[in-house]
Amino acid sequence: MTLEPWLITVIEALIKVLVVIVVLLTGFAYLTLVERYVVAKIQSRVGPNRVGAAGGIAWLQPIADAVKMIMKEDFWPAQADKVTYTLAPGIAVATALLAWAVIPLNPAITVFGYTINFYIADVNVALLFLLAVGSLGIYGIVLGGWGSNNKYSMLGALRSTAQMISYEISLGLALVGVLMISGSLSLVKIVEQQSFWWFVFFQPVGFVIYFIAAVAEVNRLPFDLPEAETELVAGYQTEYSSLKFALFYMAEYINMITVSAIASTMFLGGYQGPFGILPGAHWLILKILFFIFVMMWMRGTLPRFRYDQLMRFGWKVLLPLALANIFVTAVVLVLIGK
Amino acid sequence: MPDATTLYLILPEITLAVFGMVILAVDLIWRERSRAALAWLTVLGFVIALATALLGWGWNMALFAQMYVVDTFAIFFKLLAAIAGILVTLVSLDYLRDRTPYRGEFLALFTFAVLAMMMMASSASLLMIYLSIEFLSYMSYLLTGFLREDKKSNEAAIKYFLYGAITSALMLYGLSLLYGISGSLNFADITATFAARNDVPTRIVALVSTALVIAGLGFKISLVPFHQWAPDTYEGAPTPVTAFLSVGPKAVGFAVLLRVLLTALPAFKNEWIALLTVISVLTMTLGNLVALRQKNVKRLLAYSSIAQAGYILIGLVSVNLNGASPFSGLNGVLIYLFAYLFTNLGAFTCVIAIENATGAVEIDDYKGLVKRAPFIAALFVIFFLSLAGIPPTAGFIGKFFVFGAALREGFLVLAAIGVINSVISVFYYFSVVRAAFFEAGKDTAPIRLAPPITFSLVVSAALVLVMAVYPEPFFNLAAWSMGMFGVAK
Amino acid sequence: MEIIVFYLFAAIAVIAALGVVGLRNPVYAALCLAVVFVSFAGLYVLLSAPFIAVAQVMIYAGAILILFVFVIMLLSPPVDQGEGALKWQKPLALGFVGALAVQLVLVLALAVLPSARGSLTPEVIAQRGDVQVVGAALFSDYLLPFEMTSLLLLVAIVGVIVLAKKR
Repeated sequence: MTLEPWLITVIEALIKVLVVIVVLLTGFAYLTLVERYVVAKIQSRVGPNRVGAAGGIAWLQPIADAVKMIMKEDFWPAQADKVTYTLAPGIAVATALLAWAVIPLNPAITVFGYTINFYIADVNVALLFLLAVGSLGIYGIVLGGWGSNNKYSMLGALRSTAQMISYEISLGLALVGVLMISGSLSLVKIVEQQSFWWFVFFQPVGFVIYFIAAVAEVNRLPFDLPEAETELVAGYQTEYSSLKFALFYMAEYINMITVSAIASTMFLGGYQGPFGILPGAHWLILKILFFIFVMMWMRGTLPRFRYDQLMRFGWKVLLPLALANIFVTAVVLVLIGK
Repeated sequence: MPDATTLYLILPEITLAVFGMVILAVDLIWRERSRAALAWLTVLGFVIALATALLGWGWNMALFAQMYVVDTFAIFFKLLAAIAGILVTLVSLDYLRDRTPYRGEFLALFTFAVLAMMMMASSASLLMIYLSIEFLSYMSYLLTGFLREDKKSNEAAIKYFLYGAITSALMLYGLSLLYGISGSLNFADITATFAARNDVPTRIVALVSTALVIAGLGFKISLVPFHQWAPDTYEGAPTPVTAFLSVGPKAVGFAVLLRVLLTALPAFKNEWIALLTVISVLTMTLGNLVALRQKNVKRLLAYSSIAQAGYILIGLVSVNLNGASPFSGLNGVLIYLFAYLFTNLGAFTCVIAIENATGAVEIDDYKGLVKRAPFIAALFVIFFLSLAGIPPTAGFIGKFFVFGAALREGFLVLAAIGVINSVISVFYYFSVVRAAFFEAGKDTAPIRLAPPITFSLVVSAALVLVMAVYPEPFFNLAAWSMGMFGVAK
Repeated sequence: MEIIVFYLFAAIAVIAALGVVGLRNPVYAALCLAVVFVSFAGLYVLLSAPFIAVAQVMIYAGAILILFVFVIMLLSPPVDQGEGALKWQKPLALGFVGALAVQLVLVLALAVLPSARGSLTPEVIAQRGDVQVVGAALFSDYLLPFEMTSLLLLVAIVGVIVLAKKR
C-alpha cells in the first residue's frame, strides 16, 4: 500500500500534535506535584506524601487531583454570561497549546529513508507566531473575568489585561536582539545557529529582560496581581470550579512550560548541548525544568508587587532597558560589520 | 537611505518634525519657566520652515519612489502653511494662558499639524495622501478638544472626529478601488491605466471612487453635504484653532483635491466638473443662507467659510491650463486661497482679541465696539469687505480671477450664482459691522490689545490691502506656483 | 486543497462579520471581530504573506481589539434593544450600504480589477523570505510613510495623554 505524500504529511503532523499534547498535559499534571514539593521544601514542610506514595513521593497525587476536579460540581453563577463563561477556559488552553506548533524539540533524524523533523511547523515567522498566539491568550482571561459577572473576577481580568499588554512589549523587544544576531525569525534556524555559542552570551541583558517579562506574562509571583488572593479572592478564576477551573490551571502551567521553552530556544540553544555536546531533546527538557524551577523558587521566596509598582517597573524600567539593548546590539552589529 | 538631494528638499518637513519634538522635550524639562519662550521657539520653527521651503523652489522632483513631489505647487502651499502657523501661534499666546496648563503640548501638536499640511501638499501617491490627511485630522481633533474642561470644546472634538472617521473610511474605500484598478499607488501609473483602459465598467468604478475621494476631501474643505461638523466644531474649538481650521486644512484640502483630480484623474474631467459644479452651488448657497440667521460670530464665520469654499470650487471647476489666458482657474484658486488666508485669519484674530478681553462671541456683545476698540472695529470692516469680495481688498482680487475663469469657460450661470451669493453675504457680514458701529453697547470699557495680536492683525490687514492695490507680485507668485509635477502646462 | 481552506476561512470571516454587525451585545460583537481578524490572517497565509497574517493577529486581535473589549467592559454599556433614536437614518443607511454592495458586486462581476501580479511572486517571497521582503520595502521605498506613521503615533499618544490625564 502506498500512501499519497500529502496524506503522509497530514498523518505525521497529527501524530506530532498528539504526542505534544499528551506530553504537555502529563507534564502539567506532574509539574503541579513538583511545585508542591519545591514550595514545601522552601517552607520546611513535607509536601504530598499519601496518594500512591513510594520513596517519599506521592506518584499518584496528580491523578487523584484530576479525578477530584472532574467529580466536583460544575458551578454556574446565576448572572454569568453563559457563552463567554464557557468559552474562556477553552481559549486559554487552546492558545497555550498552539504555541508548541513552532518550537523545535530535537535535531531531525532519518528512519528508513524518511526524515522526521521534531517540530510541527517550521514557518518563517515562527517567533512572531509565538508572540501572536501569546497575545490571543489574553482573551481567555478577559472573557473569564467578564463572563463571571463578579467584581473580583472583573478586576482580576482588567489587571491581567493591562499587565500582559504592558509586559508583552518588553518581552517582544527583548527577543529582537536575538533576531538581529540570527537574522531569522524561524526558531529552527535560530536553534541551528546556536550549536556552539548560545545567544545568551551575546544577549545577557535581553535574556534577563525576557525572563522577567515572561514571568509577568504567565502571571506568576511576584507578578501574580491578577489573582492576588489577599485582595481579589482569586482574580478572574474566582467563580470557576470543576473542569473549567482545571482548564485555567492547565493553561497557566502550559504557559510556564512554553515561556521556558522559548527562553531555552532563543537564548540557551534549545536542544543544543553546551559547546556542542550531544544535541538532543534531553537538553531542552533540562533547560525547561531549570526555568520552571527558578519560577517556583521565586514563588516561594519573593513577595508580591503592588499594582502601581508593577506598571511603573514595566513601562519605566523594563521597556527603556529593552530599547537600549536593541540600540546597543544594532551599534555593535554595525561596528563588527555583520 | 535617502540621498542628500532628498534631505535638502524635505528640509522644511525635517525642521518642523525636529522643532515639534524639541518643544515637547523642552516643555517637559523646564515646565514653568519655558512657557513664553516656547511660543517664540515655535514661531522660529515656522520661520525656518518657511525659508527652507523656498530653497526647494524650481527643483520639481519626485522623491521616495515617486510618492512625494516637491514642485512649485507644493511649495506654494507649504508657504501658506508656514504663514498660517506663524500667525496662529502669535494669536494663541494670550488665549491659551488662562485656559489650559498644557501649552507646550498645544504648540507641539500645532507644529505637527502644520507639518501634516506640508506633507499633504507634496503627496503624490494614494498612500501618502491618506496618511497625511489622517495625520492632519488627528492633530485637528486633538487641538479642537484641547480645552478639556470645556464641554463645548469636547462636543466639537467628538463631532469632528465622528464625521472625520466616517468620511476618511469612505475615502479609503475609494482609494482602494483606484489601487485595485491600476495596481499602483502612484498618480502617474493611475493616469496611464485610465488612458489605456476606457471600457464602461472601469469608468463606472473609477467614477464611484472619484466621488468617494471627493467626499473625503470635501469633509476637510467643508463642502456641502459634508459640512455639518463645521459650525459646531468652529464654535466649540479654542478660537485660534478655529482660525487655523478655517484656513489650514481647507487650503491643503484644495491642494490635494487639485492634485488628485488633475494628475491622477484627468480622464474623468467632464464627470468631476459636473459633480463639483453641483457641490459648488450647494455649498455657496447653503453656507450664505444659513449664515444670515447666526447670532454667534464664530458660527457666522463658520458658515461664511463654508460659503467661501464654494467660491473657490468655482475656480477648480473652471480649470483650463491650455493657452496663456490670465484666467486659468488654477491661479484663481491659488490667489483666492492666499487672500482668504489673511482675510479669515485676520477676522478670527479680531474675534480672539475681543474674546480675550471680554469673553464674548455673540453679535449682540459687539454693540458699541467702535467706542471700545476703534482699531479692531476698523480692521473688522476691512476683513469683512474682503470676505464679501468688495474692492479695494484682497477678497475682490480672488473672486475676480475665480469668476473670470468661470466666464472664460462659459459657466455663466455658475458665475452668476457666485455673484448673487456674494451679495447675500454682504448682509450678514454687515450685521456685525452695524452692531459694532451703529448700536450702543452696555459695556464701554476699552479693549486692550497684546503686542503679538496687534502685530498679526497689522500684517493681515496690510496684506489684504496691498494685494488689492498692487496685485502683480501675488499674481506672479500664483502663476509660478502652477507648475504641478506630472501635469503638462 | 488550498481552495477548500480558502472557502473555509472566507465563510468564517463572513459569518463572523455578520455577527459583528448583527449581535446586540457589544462584547459578542467585539469577539466576532476577533474571529474575523483571525480568519483574515488565515487568508493572508494562503496569499503567501505570513508576516501580514501574524501581524494581523498580534496587532489587531491581540492588542487593539483587546483594548476595545477592555473599554466595553469598563463602560459596560446596556445591550442594544433596537429601540434607538435612529429612526429615519436606518433605511438611509441600508440604502447606502446596498448601493455600495451593488457596486462591489459589479466590480467583481465585470472583472474590472485586473489580477496583475507584481514582482513579488510566491516563489520570490519563498526564496528571499517574507519578513525580509517586507522589511526591505519598508525601509527603502516606503521609508517616508513608515517614519511618518511612527511620528503620527507618537504625537497621537502625547495628545491622548493630554486629553485624558487626571489632573
